[in-house]
Amino acid sequence: MEIQSNDERAFRQVYEQVFPVLMRVVYHVTNNQDLAEEICQEAFIRFFDKAMEFPSLDDAKYWLIRVSKNLAINQVKRKSREMNMVDKLKKYPTNGANHTDGSSVLMEKETKKLVQDAIDQLPEKFRLVIVMKEYTDMDYKQIAQVLHISESNVKVRVYRARKMLESILSQE
Amino acid sequence: MCVDDELLNTYLDGELQEPWRTQVQEHLSYCNACRQRLEQLRSLHEKIADAVLPDAEIKARQDRVLQYFEKTRFDSSSKKFHIFRKRVQVRLVPALITSAAAFVVIFIGAFVFFGNNSQQGQEILPGVASPIDSAHIRQVTEIQQPSLDDFSLDQIIQHLDAMGYAVKLELKAVTPLQ
Repeated sequence: MEIQSNDERAFRQVYEQVFPVLMRVVYHVTNNQDLAEEICQEAFIRFFDKAMEFPSLDDAKYWLIRVSKNLAINQVKRKSREMNMVDKLKKYPTNGANHTDGSSVLMEKETKKLVQDAIDQLPEKFRLVIVMKEYTDMDYKQIAQVLHISESNVKVRVYRARKMLESILSQE
Repeated sequence: MCVDDELLNTYLDGELQEPWRTQVQEHLSYCNACRQRLEQLRSLHEKIADAVLPDAEIKARQDRVLQYFEKTRFDSSSKKFHIFRKRVQVRLVPALITSAAAFVVIFIGAFVFFGNNSQQGQEILPGVASPIDSAHIRQVTEIQQPSLDDFSLDQIIQHLDAMGYAVKLELKAVTPLQ
């Protein structure tokens, strides 16, 4: 099924399916939800405004991930750190109040934060691959297609990223 | 020989192809150390995967960004559609009015025309017939009924000859040429 990116119906279909994937990839790469939202919006704006044709929904999805991944990498060094600090100060106390079992939620949040901070420390090429592997349903072949690298390269990067994460998390 | 971490990771992700997959499975069935290592890797994978950004966090942002597109992109396309619709209306309305007017004119015109012929014709016709010149009628009848003077002698002889008559010419009186 062909996808015309500036056709409203096709756009909505792609948007509904791809936005969550895109948001996850960009968030876990940038460690900042507001920035991730901005980047996702920008990627979809480009998608719509360029009025492109894609042979399938997957091709549109790969294009969007590629664009937002590049935007994320460009922005992350500039914006992420200062916004991240503001974000944490703003959100941390309010979110815990919504749950009854405060201690377990805090532990869970703490673990999540540790993991995300560990991902943050990975070099860019390992971070991208492990984020796509762990937070999307893409297999090695699809990740290779998005990043324009070989499947065996994806396999090696996944292994090395996990090894680094294991090492970082064991120290904390 | 035990399975290395790279192979175990690939196995864990379900990406290990045959025959290596079966070989790793066989090895795991009797090697405790590798089984333990696989469990460690599985636990690490689950720990990382659990840190996923939850759907609830995404939903609000997804709706907000979609609203942006509804305002800035989809709106403009629907505005275009409205403009198009207005253009169609502008083009269609005069055409409808013109054709409706034409129908009315033809209808009334036809009614008046045939009405005159049938009802008032007898009163009007004598007035129309009176100025006709009688000389025209005579002229037409003269053309329709030519006399012998219109034809030369040769033409008359040829005509009669063609009709099968035997023609005998006699000269009764001749006026000499001067």
